[in-house]
Amino acid sequence: MELTTTRTLTAIFSEVLANLAFLFTDDEETEPALGEVWLETSISYHGPVSGTLRFRCTRSFCELLAANLLGIDPDDEAAARQSEDAVREFMNIVCGQFVTSMHGSDDVYNLSIPHTVELPETPDLADDGGKTSSTLSVDHHVVQLIYEPK
Amino acid sequence: MARDVLIVDDSMTMRQMVKKTMRMAGLDVGEVYEASNGIEALAQLAEHPVAVILLDINMPTMNGIQLLTRMKGNSRLKGIPIVIASTEGSRERIEQMEEFGAFGYVRKPFQPEQLRDVLKPLLGVRDDGVDYDADTDGDLF
Repeated sequence: MELTTTRTLTAIFSEVLANLAFLFTDDEETEPALGEVWLETSISYHGPVSGTLRFRCTRSFCELLAANLLGIDPDDEAAARQSEDAVREFMNIVCGQFVTSMHGSDDVYNLSIPHTVELPETPDLADDGGKTSSTLSVDHHVVQLIYEPK
Repeated sequence: MARDVLIVDDSMTMRQMVKKTMRMAGLDVGEVYEASNGIEALAQLAEHPVAVILLDINMPTMNGIQLLTRMKGNSRLKGIPIVIASTEGSRERIEQMEEFGAFGYVRKPFQPEQLRDVLKPLLGVRDDGVDYDADTDGDLF
């Protein structure tokens, strides 16, 4: 992935996260929590240019995201119940903003329905300098963004 | 008098966020019905006449464009104002929605005042509603 694409994706992710969920990316060197379940949410777009965005985070981050989007306590059972739905909708919004930012608003792009899977193990979160992925810290949680062009 | 609304979006989280945002915007909303796709929306509309539909585009089973097309061909449903609430930013897609008869468009993520601007002509505002300054000069797309 070109560095500019990674930077654009990271900037849009951070902006949507702050505006919608009042969560902020930071420069902390957060270690991934042990024993956490990791989820990967993917969404693709198709048009004159096509690509896929992947977002990896722990289930506890998804619950925090859901709680903040809904304005409820993270311990509320609705946060756990809607955690995957929340991260899918969040990535739907990020993808819509990303496509417009990268490719403009003249062409029609079709977005796929976002899809979430549980990862069998903690993913490789090593930072590759933004070439293919971006690993970030959000409120003491490690998250990872990946862009795959087609 | 408060008017009823149907929110059509495949994300339960987004439906709840829209409900919360409508309250924050001070809109005079009555009952809020929900559907997660176009098929469910048609079932809700058969039971509940609503004043406005807030419609997502990207949904499984029957998406927003398909629902809009279906409603346009139905004499009982074609008069219900539809506001598109979507992540889509393409000018062509927005113009297509307008041609299909959509009343307005708000792009996700939206702020209470943006939702208020587009829904105020259809729903009105509560007496105790916060009064945001309108910023649309009549253009709701």
